[in-house]
Amino acid sequence: MITEVSGHTLLVFVGIPALVLAVVALLVFAPSIANGPRYRPGLSWWAPPVWINGPTATKPDPAKLPDQHSLPELPAAPGATASAGAGVARSTGGASASW
Amino acid sequence: MPAGDAFTPDQLYDIEKAVRHAEEVSGLHFSVYVGGADSETRPFALELLNELDDPDHTVLVYVDPAGRRLEIVTGAVAKRQLSDAAAGLAALSMQTSFATGDLTGGLVTGVQQLGEHAHQAPLLHANEPHKQ
Repeated sequence: MITEVSGHTLLVFVGIPALVLAVVALLVFAPSIANGPRYRPGLSWWAPPVWINGPTATKPDPAKLPDQHSLPELPAAPGATASAGAGVARSTGGASASW
Repeated sequence: MPAGDAFTPDQLYDIEKAVRHAEEVSGLHFSVYVGGADSETRPFALELLNELDDPDHTVLVYVDPAGRRLEIVTGAVAKRQLSDAAAGLAALSMQTSFATGDLTGGLVTGVQQLGEHAHQAPLLHANEPHKQ
């Protein structure tokens, strides 16, 4: 026996569940939509470089800086590595890690 | 947030706040760079350090999210305040957060730790160069 489906029945059994699903989905995905793509280790990195507290525009001209050899002698820390960056022999320390 | 940016403004604010706090506590300059390296990460991080205004008094945190590498570089003077062991501890903490995808949390925690480790109680004349 086929019964006639009224608009009210459709609203109760289809409309309301669909509305509930939509609200739940919105609550789940809202944070990621608001925050944009999230970093996932192992996947490619999409964003341009960010330098916080980087060099200022008023940095003095390197050519006018005193000769590196005139820097005061500093005691070397254990495990320190010698910097070869930018052709400057500057004693540095620090640590490395990977994940 | 514009599509494609690494951090939201709130996240950037949190990181900058941690950097400022670390600088106030330690008296050193802190800088954070997040991006890919043109070469090997350590030499690249050293190049970045040398581009800064006062490399000797600077602690640079370099994060390569694509290569999953972290470098903490301390300048010639900064390394006397922040030992390699202390930097290694902070690196370990950051590494844990980064592995779960939390770049901001890792940076904030790591920079705070670096600042705390580099903190030195003020001692009269102890840190001044010897004068003759």
